[in-house]
Amino acid sequence: MDKFHPSLRECIIAATAFKLLLFPAYKSTDFEVHRNWLAITHSLPVKEWYYEKTSEWTLDYPPFFAAFEWVLSHVAQFFDPAMLDVRNLEYDSVQTVYFQRLSVMFTELLLVYALQKFINTSPESSKRSAHAVALSILLSPGFLIIDHIHFQYNGFLYGILILSITLARSPSARLYSGFLFAALLCFKHIYLYLAPAYFVFLLRAYCLGDSIFQIRFANVIKLGAGIIGIVAAAFGPFVYWGQTPQLLSRLFPFSRGLCHAYWAPNIWAIYSFIDRVLIIVAPRLGLPVNQEALTSVTRGLVGDTTFAVLPEITPRKTFLLTLFFQILSLIKLWTNPTYETFLGAVTLCGYASFLFGWHVHEKAILLVVVPFSLLALKDRRYLGAFRPLAVAGHVSLFPLLFTAPEFLIKTVYTIAWLVVFLTAFDALVSPVAVNTRRFLLDRFTMLFIIIAIPLIAYTSLFHKALFGDRYEFLPLMFNSSYSAVGVVGSWVGFCWLFFSS
Amino acid sequence: MSLPQQGASKQRTKKPKATRSVSFSLPALPFPLASFLHPLRSASSQWLVLPVLLMVSILFRWAVGLGSYSGMAAPPMHGDFEAQRHWMEITTNLPTKEWYWHDLEWWGLDYPPLTAYHSRLLGVIGGMINPDWFALFDSRGSDDVALKTFMRATALASELLTYVPAVVIFVRVFGRQADLSKYDKGVALAAILMQPTLMIIDHGHFQYNSVMLGFALLAVDCFITDHIYWGSFFFVLSLSFKQMALYYAPAIFAYLLGLCVHPNINVPRLVLLGATVIVTFSLVFAPLAVFGGREQVAQCLFRVFPFARGLWEDKVANFWCATNILVKFRERFDSGMLQKASLVTTSVAILPPCLILFFNPQKRLLPLGLAACAWGFFMFSFQVHEKSVLLPLVPTTLVLAGSLDKNTVSWVSWMNNVAMFSMWPLLRRDGLQLQYTVLTLLYAWLMGTFEHLPKHWFGKLVHVGSYIAILVTHLAEAFFFKGPLREYPDLWVVANVEISFGCFTVAWMWVLWRLWKESRKGRKKPKRE
Repeated sequence: MDKFHPSLRECIIAATAFKLLLFPAYKSTDFEVHRNWLAITHSLPVKEWYYEKTSEWTLDYPPFFAAFEWVLSHVAQFFDPAMLDVRNLEYDSVQTVYFQRLSVMFTELLLVYALQKFINTSPESSKRSAHAVALSILLSPGFLIIDHIHFQYNGFLYGILILSITLARSPSARLYSGFLFAALLCFKHIYLYLAPAYFVFLLRAYCLGDSIFQIRFANVIKLGAGIIGIVAAAFGPFVYWGQTPQLLSRLFPFSRGLCHAYWAPNIWAIYSFIDRVLIIVAPRLGLPVNQEALTSVTRGLVGDTTFAVLPEITPRKTFLLTLFFQILSLIKLWTNPTYETFLGAVTLCGYASFLFGWHVHEKAILLVVVPFSLLALKDRRYLGAFRPLAVAGHVSLFPLLFTAPEFLIKTVYTIAWLVVFLTAFDALVSPVAVNTRRFLLDRFTMLFIIIAIPLIAYTSLFHKALFGDRYEFLPLMFNSSYSAVGVVGSWVGFCWLFFSS
Repeated sequence: MSLPQQGASKQRTKKPKATRSVSFSLPALPFPLASFLHPLRSASSQWLVLPVLLMVSILFRWAVGLGSYSGMAAPPMHGDFEAQRHWMEITTNLPTKEWYWHDLEWWGLDYPPLTAYHSRLLGVIGGMINPDWFALFDSRGSDDVALKTFMRATALASELLTYVPAVVIFVRVFGRQADLSKYDKGVALAAILMQPTLMIIDHGHFQYNSVMLGFALLAVDCFITDHIYWGSFFFVLSLSFKQMALYYAPAIFAYLLGLCVHPNINVPRLVLLGATVIVTFSLVFAPLAVFGGREQVAQCLFRVFPFARGLWEDKVANFWCATNILVKFRERFDSGMLQKASLVTTSVAILPPCLILFFNPQKRLLPLGLAACAWGFFMFSFQVHEKSVLLPLVPTTLVLAGSLDKNTVSWVSWMNNVAMFSMWPLLRRDGLQLQYTVLTLLYAWLMGTFEHLPKHWFGKLVHVGSYIAILVTHLAEAFFFKGPLREYPDLWVVANVEISFGCFTVAWMWVLWRLWKESRKGRKKPKRE
């Protein structure tokens, strides 16, 4: 019998039952995106994968993911061959839905495996906490909302990430940790945001000895050759066919705007919010207002965001800001290349790119939540910083599901998850002496969590009753500004812990 | 067989204070449902059990509701969903005197007045959101997605206001009287709330059975807390919501009558009980009579008791339908004869539990007594639906709040599994195959069906045999549906009815035997209180 209850296996069975019941639920355009990729990879020669554009949802993930779709498509043909036709746009027969949804659940087993590995490699004293953390990730409302309702394949990708992080724990396995991460990048390039931490850690802890002048050449060659081999396997054929520019333009579409559709809860959401407030205040302060911007921000939906009062933001500025904050954490990692600092640096790289990045999706919050979860039970102060992130990160995903039937699912599931895991974490975490606990952060967290209740009620119920379809941007803006405060708050708290420890 | 909770209860009777800390370190009961509640067993997290169970119950009910419902996109007549919606339409748009008369061919109202008032309330609320949902005549057979969401929400809200609190109170009170630990009470509550049959009928197929069951259960709650007048009040409400609650009536009558003669004859109590019932019925029917005229009451009663209909409608796993392959009742006998036969056999079937309750009006016998009585009705009475199996099944499941030993858990979960199977023809017609499969397997797994069998060899034989038969039927139907057996589409339904009937007979006998044993137990031991 398993040592801790409920076991990972029991949770995955119960969660699978629930997710199966969600088959008829809302699915976003991402469902069609992935169906289209199945069709592209199945019916076209590899050379044409990145040129095909019958559907507007062209293939814009790296080659490993395309290969993954290709593998899936061989199973898909037994469900319904019609879904594999490139011209069959918006095709969603029952068999297609069953197949695609099942494929998400099936590939998610890699996440379960990774979490089991994470528990197994944890030291005996923290096994119980590791178990709780693993369950929290497995049952995370993030994966439920994004993967199993909205539709994406984050489960197995984060499985690879966690496996890679877990391998980094033991010095002998760091080589494979690097390989796995390189492969992960070839699946989905969003993980490039975390790459600096990996680069510095592997360089310092694997390629260099105790002194930085002591280069371990054997390790350098093993790691270098392996990574080059993996990347070559993924991109080599396309480079050979001279498709590099086309591939890059698909992977990095720089023409998109600063804020993605629903305003990810980052610095720019707060920036936009302040700008909106300044539009009202500016005439009294005598500040110039850009009239063109007045209409654009209020829409708050897809497209470019222009600011009325505050200075414009360019991709270059966001890039430099991101890099600056990432480097701060990397310096610490360089001087202290331990597993825990590495995990902290990965988390901070995720934070920096999410908070300051260009065209960030709200879904990218998982880049912060997942690595932070692995650290959250280190001690009570970490948990203090984790709480607002857990609330804000998941609340910020709510606008992804805007249909009425899913309202109850997303809110009740998230509340249940928060209640269960935040209390469980609270009971498990090792106490810290009173004077080192920062009451300010605890108070902030409490207040923040309480505000969530009226906020959710307003954005999902009262706004519609009060304004009907007008001011559609308001609930979205409140939601992302609120969540942004939580994410920024947890970031400040985490930075302090990271740099002061 | 080691039974941790029994051990705990034994210790508790000796020294109640010391066991409290001991019970927290108990190992999890060996079935997965208990494992899920294991982290919440410490004193500091006990408060979480109820909210978490409620949230999980809501999530599963709502997730089932995302699926299809009876009669979805199935013209011309649609199904029970349309019936419920149509009643909201007529009760909001028509004067009271037309409620029980309006176009009876199209899902005419044939439930007692409380359902009519409930429909009117929901219709008024829904009409404020979207008047088109309940527009007279125009809204018939509407398959609007928003309407579906609204209706699902009303079913959920109705259950949360009636059935769920009734179960919570029941487990608390009954569990305390049976000396269950807090952890075990949580497990029992979860087992009752996650019961798949009620979930899939109310939130999948679509009906408001939980309201009727909720009121009946509230009545039981009142009886076991010695509020017999409130209990009768709630039971009358249950009857006036759905006449199906009559399945319980003889048992409750016998229990109350027993209370009036034991330990000595108590005439004032009997009079007061009678008065409560009459006054409550009058209150319920009063609006109908006041706003519609006195003849409405007669028409309502005429509509509610459909003696004009046949012995059964769809195939159902009761005595009449199951033995029909041997004796063609409906061809050989006329309707009046069959009515009499059904009346006599039902009376005989419900007599034992009623007698036991009359002579031993003990609280702890109530769930089993109600279950035994309802099984009798299900087996032999007139116009039984496959959904009616909920009536015996719910009180049978409630037995878990009294004992969570492996044997009981195994029997109760088996009955739930078989009951789910018996409703398969209905659920398949509704397009709920996915929900059926998931909920059946989930509950079977949660309750440890795959790991534990009953103690007795006969139980083992019945369980294993029935699971194999169910599996074979499903597989055969799945693989031979289009093959050589295509010409006999009823074959699967008949097989289903026969298997379910066999199992239900065993289930009924188990309940009766258990009731008998429980009633003897009280005699040997002196009363605990």
